[in-house]
Amino acid sequence: MVQITNFLHLHQFVGDLDCRTGASGSGILGVPKPIMVSVNRTFFRRALAVAAYLVVAASVSAQTTPEFADRFVAMTAVTGYEQRMAETLVDWLPFADRDRAGNVVAVIGSGSPVRLAVCPMDERGYIVGRILDDGFLTLRRVGGGGPLFDQGLEGHRVAVWTDGGPVPGVVSIPSTHLGRGRASQPDRPFDVDDAIIDVGADSAADVAALGVRVLDAVALAKRAHRYGESLLAGPEAGRRAGCAALARAASTVASGEVLGTVVIAFVVESYLRHSGLRVVARTHGPFSATWLIDYEVPDRALGEDFGGVERSRLPVRFEATPVETVDLVDADALSDRLIAWAGTQP
Amino acid sequence: MSMNAKRHVRLSLAWLTLLIFWAGGRVSAQVTPDRVERVAEVLEELIETYGVSGDEERVRDVVVRQLPEWAEPEIDDVGNLWVRAGQGDPVVVFIAHLDEVGFQITEILADGTAQLRTRGGFYPNLWEATPALIHTGAGPVPAIFMPRDTVADPPTRRPPDGFRLSAGTATRAATEALGIRVGDTVSNPKEFVRLGATRATARSFDDRAGSTAQLLAVQALDLDALDHEVIFIWSVQEEAGLVGAGVAADALGFTPARVHAIDTFVSSAAPIDRQNFAYAPLGSGPVARGVDSSSVTPRAVLDAFLELAEGHALPLQVGATNGGTDGTPFRDWGVPHMPFGWPLRYSHSPVELIDLEDVVVLVDLIKLVAEEW
Repeated sequence: MVQITNFLHLHQFVGDLDCRTGASGSGILGVPKPIMVSVNRTFFRRALAVAAYLVVAASVSAQTTPEFADRFVAMTAVTGYEQRMAETLVDWLPFADRDRAGNVVAVIGSGSPVRLAVCPMDERGYIVGRILDDGFLTLRRVGGGGPLFDQGLEGHRVAVWTDGGPVPGVVSIPSTHLGRGRASQPDRPFDVDDAIIDVGADSAADVAALGVRVLDAVALAKRAHRYGESLLAGPEAGRRAGCAALARAASTVASGEVLGTVVIAFVVESYLRHSGLRVVARTHGPFSATWLIDYEVPDRALGEDFGGVERSRLPVRFEATPVETVDLVDADALSDRLIAWAGTQP
Repeated sequence: MSMNAKRHVRLSLAWLTLLIFWAGGRVSAQVTPDRVERVAEVLEELIETYGVSGDEERVRDVVVRQLPEWAEPEIDDVGNLWVRAGQGDPVVVFIAHLDEVGFQITEILADGTAQLRTRGGFYPNLWEATPALIHTGAGPVPAIFMPRDTVADPPTRRPPDGFRLSAGTATRAATEALGIRVGDTVSNPKEFVRLGATRATARSFDDRAGSTAQLLAVQALDLDALDHEVIFIWSVQEEAGLVGAGVAADALGFTPARVHAIDTFVSSAAPIDRQNFAYAPLGSGPVARGVDSSSVTPRAVLDAFLELAEGHALPLQVGATNGGTDGTPFRDWGVPHMPFGWPLRYSHSPVELIDLEDVVVLVDLIKLVAEEW
């Protein structure tokens, strides 16, 4: 359990700003690599590494859907910038690999039928559009968004995802006091073009020193927020809880029997051109059946490679808001259905 | 990583940063990395303790716990915390407030949701569709500030009918079963987050930063240097109408020779704000608040203050801003008021932003004024 404690601690320490497991410089899932100096001890080193792997893998597979969901909701993966989330998923699901598109794909079992269960990793978000001389940043939206989507930014904390990790910043808001006695703000929604990001810098050089560059991904700082008996709130909570259900199902069926071949994929760029999904089809398809989890894609875009398509979407409240809410009982039920589907149903 | 290890890393980074900035001559000689870290340490605990106006007990307990041994804390009827030092005239009062803006439950509806009223002035729409914490008698209960029920066409920035609170329940009885009651205060979850080299963001720097500076100044106070009485007050319900300060002012009457509110200087030094006045850049030192919405400091008092700071090489900006402070009720007793504080961006929002170095100098300034003015 020490490994689990480490794993949880590392992830919680980086909190809402980091979707990586903190495994850099360590072994799988942050388990420190054993240091042995004698060549004759290679066997023991390997044995220890394997043991650590098995303990962690078993522990991860023992995670419940809610535990997975908490972690998924706290992660950031702006469309086209899913790499860190993909790395984390590969850590969590060691039987899966990243493909050339950046998808995380697990192929379980063999032979026919070949079926696909898929969930998108990405989310709507922003990138750094420009770094101003006085150290502030402006944004460009990525992946679209509804009429009040940008308003979730105003006066809230964000993370700028640099090569070196997340850099915290805030979205400027006029000081309440200084607005008194002056013309009030226009009552139109806050728009991405209104966003001025303050990362605590006074110049473009300060920004550079923080490692922030134009095109870095930006998203609201996140933390899984549980409330009520079994509710989970956060941006894209429904989609992320759906992915959690699939992750838990994958980790369960990976060590058991499945019918034929089951391909489980967490794909990139669902809000762009569905290229992640297409790469999965070209690499592992055609499929006799496909289960799309919270993935909106027109039937005409799917073509023949996906077979019979089933679509699932967890019921959510407050959809497309920063507190989109999902009931984890529903997520757990979806996971059970996925396990049953993988194991028995053609 | 242990707390000590985290502190060590922060301290190392802070030293490195300060060395870089020293090369540019930005900070005063009084600011050292360990002092910045000490401010951050106290501030973090105070920030992450909740105290919406009228519900400040938890914050007050944190302050009391960190008072020096010589201090004899007194709590008055309204909940203000008093610490007295020295004896004799002139009696000088410092006052910082413990409370923060937030909400209070006014009604629990049949569908389990709750109606709210604001405590203090702010843009409520910043709280729409965000996580919430209800501060019940049994501890915090997580909830959410609900998004508006319908989106108007065209959509508006402010929710047309306000918004409610949901604890994830569907009936009044279920909500009450969680320990939630009318009158409970509500806030969003808070986190103290460092930004850039020496800055930090959180909600309620107003006035946890003032409370922190005042606390650290009391800890550093040289009692032997005091030849008069100094009273330090941490007040309640400032945001709800200077309630605690009013009680304190009435209790002291004509006694004080001077009062110093230690509170936010709302700065316009950010591109989002108009910079016609209140321009006090962050990292350039504390600010003497010459004029605000409810107080004008006599020029002679202001000049004496500026001269005192200059004489001790403490950086001090001066300006006018909006809003009032706890010093205001003392004016009704004719007490001269010289408020000062630190520059802050994005006031009363979830992302208030300060430079920790300004708070370090503010500690020195409070100590200086207490001992030598």
